[in-house]
Amino acid sequence: MSVDGTTLAAAPRASRAEARDDSAATHGEGGLGRLALRILVGLVVLAILAQSFYVVQARPEDLVTGVHGMVDLLSRAMPPAWSECGDILWPTLETVDLAIFGTVFGVLMALPLAVLAASNVTPARPLYFLARGIIALTRAVPDLVWALLFVTAVGLGPFPGALALSVHSIGMLGRLFSEVIEDMDFGPVEALNLTGASRLQVFTHAVVPGVLPSLLGIGLYRFDENLRSSLVLGFVGAGGIGFRLLTAMNLFQYRTVSLLLVATFILVMAAERGSALLRRQVA
Amino acid sequence: MSAFSGESASGAETRLAVRGLRMRYPNGTLALDGVDLTVRAGELVTILGSNGSGKTTLLRCVARLLDPSEGEVLVDGQDLARLNGEALRKARLALAMVFQRANLVRRRSVLANVASGTLGRRRTWWTALGGLPAEELPLARELLRQVGVEQLGGQRADTLSGGQAQRAAIARALAQRPKLILADEPVASLDPEAAEEILRLLRQLAIDSGLAVLCVLHQPALALRYSHRVVGLRDGVVAFDLPADRDADLHIALLYKELAA
Repeated sequence: MSVDGTTLAAAPRASRAEARDDSAATHGEGGLGRLALRILVGLVVLAILAQSFYVVQARPEDLVTGVHGMVDLLSRAMPPAWSECGDILWPTLETVDLAIFGTVFGVLMALPLAVLAASNVTPARPLYFLARGIIALTRAVPDLVWALLFVTAVGLGPFPGALALSVHSIGMLGRLFSEVIEDMDFGPVEALNLTGASRLQVFTHAVVPGVLPSLLGIGLYRFDENLRSSLVLGFVGAGGIGFRLLTAMNLFQYRTVSLLLVATFILVMAAERGSALLRRQVA
Repeated sequence: MSAFSGESASGAETRLAVRGLRMRYPNGTLALDGVDLTVRAGELVTILGSNGSGKTTLLRCVARLLDPSEGEVLVDGQDLARLNGEALRKARLALAMVFQRANLVRRRSVLANVASGTLGRRRTWWTALGGLPAEELPLARELLRQVGVEQLGGQRADTLSGGQAQRAAIARALAQRPKLILADEPVASLDPEAAEEILRLLRQLAIDSGLAVLCVLHQPALALRYSHRVVGLRDGVVAFDLPADRDADLHIALLYKELAA
């Protein structure tokens, strides 16, 4: 760089452009490289944004012209059809029960898998990889896709939805459960092992009390998530509020739609608050 | 304090006999190189030695938390080094271990923790499902009284102080009705006062209940004050095995001085 400096001093009549280049160079190649990198990153981000606008066919002007349609829709949806409250009780119960079934069976199946998939307690390497594989697969496929598969397999209704939530929950819970087991304090386990207790006794007396609160917390959080998922699952024919919502939309019963949205709002808020409250209790 | 040393009953029954114990770790380190050691009923024996001298390895080999490479570990006449599976589990009932940390199950009550020490004897479907053996609860209460924390039985284990938790851990070890107690640096994480209390308790248990106690310590002063015999370990070999009196004091000083030199 000192070489560049002397060159600059020795050639005062160099063109302006050249001089600017050289002075940038004297600030150090690192600075120049960083600047170039920033510009490049900026351009890439812009390009990504631009292509997403293009691909989703964003038409901001439609939002403006669509205001009329939205106002019309809202006016037709108001007030909610309170008189149908009795009719939506069953689908609401279905939605809640979907979440209960999905969470309970998810937990029941995730627990043994999590034991196999925790590197510190797994009985054998092949089982470890098998369990990890099942967890990854059930997690990677969204519950909505599972619901589609199960609707095809067992027909319409809440049951395929419950199965979908169970299977997806296996993956989500299995991974978190196995992490809890891996982070467990092994002091009490070793201590009980030395008292001559059987493996099962060590499990129920040292492992379970050690991890149960964390597992319960994770399970409750999963219930909250499953409830929100179960609302959507109805759209693919898996029962509950979602299914009712879809039917009402198709029949242009907008006041029923708004009533269902109110019910959804209440359910989600109640589940969120309830599960947060219970999680604090078990901590 | 050294006057205590005369109490060790040399004629008493041998509870632990270690013969020619060698332990080579898979990485090639020779941690124990032919250790011989005897602990009799009613005796508190302390192992001293610098870090890496093999103290903890020795204790863990005796408890068969590690598999020794060679030698015998006779607990109450049975060679633990040669047993496996169910036979090992049964034989291990005769020894109980106390750790540096109390290792209590934090969210259970102190009483439940103590009662869990009886699980090896009470292997029923009820206890397998996580229940406590009701018939052992009086024993658990009695042991809590014996170690001086009977009023804490109903509390959750994670509410106890370090010294209280270690007492509860000792009660859990006693609930096993062991003949030998192994203590791996039981006072290392306690304040000086609690440390003295725990060692006083262990010594009293040895004398009153005829238990054999083998204890790893880092504090020579405590070892001299509370044990009947001190064993010095250096590079996996027994450097000395003496009654805890002035003579031992000298050897201990030597054990640690060599290290500093």
